[in-house]
Amino acid sequence: MNLTLSSVYRPYSFPTLLKSSSFSTLSRPFCSSALSSPPTCVKPQVPLFLRPPIYSTKLCELKKWHDWAKGVAFSIGSTFVHSDNGRDSSILFREMKWLMEDAVEDHSMIVDDERVKMRIGIDELYCLWKQRIHERRPFQYVVGCEHWRDLVLSVQEGVLIPRPETELIVDFVYDVVSENEDLKSGVWADLGTGSGALAIGIGRVLRSEGGRVVATDLSPVAVAVAAYNVQRYCLQDKIELREGSWFEPLKDMEGKLVGLVSNPPYIPSKDISGLQAEVGRHEPRVALDGGTDGMDALLHLCDGAGLMLKPGGFFAFETNGEHQCRALVDYMENNRSGSFCNLEIRADFAGIQRFVMGFHQ
Amino acid sequence: MGFCSGSTTDDHESPHKTEKRSCGTLHFISARQIEKALTMRFHGNFIICRYLSRLRNQFNSNFEFPLPNFRHRAPFFLRSYSAEVPAQLSPELLNIMEQRLSAIEYRTSCLNNFLNQPEASPSEYARANKELRKLSGSVDLIKELRAKQKEIDGLKSLMAECSEDKDMLNMATEEMGQAVEEERKLQNLLLKSLLPKDDADERDCILEVRAGTGGEEASLFAMDIFRMYEKYALEKGWKFEVVDIAQSDHKGYKSTMHWNLLLARIEFHLATDVLWTILSQEASAAIAGDGVFRKLKFESGIHRVQRVPVTEKSGRIHTSAVSVAILPQADEVDVQLKNEDLRIDTYRSGGSGGQHANTTNSAVRVTHIPTGIMITIQDERSQHMNKAKALKVLCAKLYEMERLRLRSSRSKLRLEQIGSGDRSERIRTYNFPQGRVTDHRVGITYHSVDDVMQGENLDVFIDALLLQEEMDAMATFSSSQ
Repeated sequence: MNLTLSSVYRPYSFPTLLKSSSFSTLSRPFCSSALSSPPTCVKPQVPLFLRPPIYSTKLCELKKWHDWAKGVAFSIGSTFVHSDNGRDSSILFREMKWLMEDAVEDHSMIVDDERVKMRIGIDELYCLWKQRIHERRPFQYVVGCEHWRDLVLSVQEGVLIPRPETELIVDFVYDVVSENEDLKSGVWADLGTGSGALAIGIGRVLRSEGGRVVATDLSPVAVAVAAYNVQRYCLQDKIELREGSWFEPLKDMEGKLVGLVSNPPYIPSKDISGLQAEVGRHEPRVALDGGTDGMDALLHLCDGAGLMLKPGGFFAFETNGEHQCRALVDYMENNRSGSFCNLEIRADFAGIQRFVMGFHQ
Repeated sequence: MGFCSGSTTDDHESPHKTEKRSCGTLHFISARQIEKALTMRFHGNFIICRYLSRLRNQFNSNFEFPLPNFRHRAPFFLRSYSAEVPAQLSPELLNIMEQRLSAIEYRTSCLNNFLNQPEASPSEYARANKELRKLSGSVDLIKELRAKQKEIDGLKSLMAECSEDKDMLNMATEEMGQAVEEERKLQNLLLKSLLPKDDADERDCILEVRAGTGGEEASLFAMDIFRMYEKYALEKGWKFEVVDIAQSDHKGYKSTMHWNLLLARIEFHLATDVLWTILSQEASAAIAGDGVFRKLKFESGIHRVQRVPVTEKSGRIHTSAVSVAILPQADEVDVQLKNEDLRIDTYRSGGSGGQHANTTNSAVRVTHIPTGIMITIQDERSQHMNKAKALKVLCAKLYEMERLRLRSSRSKLRLEQIGSGDRSERIRTYNFPQGRVTDHRVGITYHSVDDVMQGENLDVFIDALLLQEEMDAMATFSSSQ
């Protein structure tokens, strides 16, 4: 039922930003809630590890599932690796263990009565592992959460799974806030917030300061899930969620933002079909497709940054790699000369030039 | 009538005399002699009582002797004595300390004079201020001691002047007793403040237990030792967090112990005691609490076990060994961790990364380039957390290396006395058939191996080791002058 409900609200993919804006207009009849408040018509799913352990299973039944699941994972071998650089058996074993960790309530080594409490029935456990293997459904959607930095964020279909590379943006924000007193008490914006990862990460950096975060997303499902995550971390007073396309929900903040971050869609349209199955088949295309050269959203963000940031304001964007980073810096230096300073390109842990950051003049 | 009364008296005396005469043999014994004989018997009883009392005292005194297995007797007596009243420091020690105190007073005076000069440069000013702050603890104690000594001198003069006034003399004597006691307390406090302190004593620590010689039995005993410390930490109210580490020479991945145990139990249907062999040869934990490292630092070394392994079929006793390392936790400031000295590797998908790939492999490997230390952590489900954990372990290892280097150069005497703290030193033996545990550094044997394994009586060894450390520090202090 939840799946059906969420699929109804799954945003349709549009290859260009312009069409995304159009979709924003079209989406309003479906959701009558005001622009400035999270929609109440979408109910986020509860991740597996937070569900009540109302099921009970014999230990031998769990062992049977474990043997079956392990056999299935073992039979995969390197098949996924060869087809689209997916997972091999050893990593699937770990995923299986983590699935069990979330599903089984009893963490005790003492299993006296040969029964264990579960958060889902054993039949659903079989179903979930089949989805993982046969449909290549992302593990994070299977368990309903992703561990990111020191957070555990709820995710579901229709919401981009936060990437480990994106963890670094919070470090950048922490560094820049430590060195600039002005950035501690102003308003930050997280555009395309998805599950709310960056907004929550920054909200915690600003925890004891006066600063606030406004997080926006086009997708009502993402806004609902982000609101759930914000609430779980008790940051409702610090983080405000707004639904809408890029800067539209922020018209009241022109020239007032002290910080702007985004992990926008940046994959060139022609590469979408070649993506890993977990990504291409299951994650929201609107969060991945960056247009012809993958830079439609990024260029739009640059234009908006010049308009929305106050002097001395900081921005950081995630990109596809070195080529996009260089193009973005060139664009800002040539087309927006005089608007930005201290432009910088930073690498991720794999050594790929991934992030562009700088300050408003 | 009067005559009749006299007659009655005569009658009374007459039977008495008659009786004496009839006995005949008592003729030569006088009343005085009888009294003397009774007195002698009474004295005899006193002699017997005194003898019995002496025997009882002699019997009681047996309990005051140290346990027969104690190799060093001094710690026991010193501990009992110091618990009652501040110990009187020896004249030699007092003399050495007095020289140090005078040196500190002189240095403080110089620093204060320097700070009063207006032409001091800011950096020199800051450095002098820092040194002054470092000495301030001792300086305050010295001031108190000087004031107390002055008070004692005053009381001595008063006692000399008022030798004829009993009330005044009694009052002065009483105050003198109190003042002398307080002087001793201050002297002991100063001595402790002058002894070189281990900076790490107040830190949390990382425990590493590694199976050594003995194969499967060593692995089983390693798990027993690991659990012993977990129970001890629980009893102390400390936080015990398992940190499983896969180092570069280990293959495969690890997760938290209890999950591995549960999974292996499901998979192999084996008894818990045997699971350790399958799961790991090494386990680590982070222990946090009040004064954790100070209590545990002497646990580093080789722990030997003598018992019949559960896997032994012929009932023979095996000797196995487990090594324990206690590393003080350190933050990056302590070890001056520089980003340029680190190489941080994450799982490489080989592709473009970012939005292109879905990943659940959050493994992180941190390499410290100058030393070659390599730490891999992969049990957390977030790359960020794995990196944080790896850096935590790396800081502890680097800090321990630096501490050992400083320690060996500081004092060879301490090396010989307490032991190096090296994890290769043999420190303790757990003999299960005889039910006793012996610590080889302080020569203490505790006769309940089960209590020790339950984490209940580790303090028997730990307290003795801490006392030994204090005595060694004093010996070093004395010999250094």
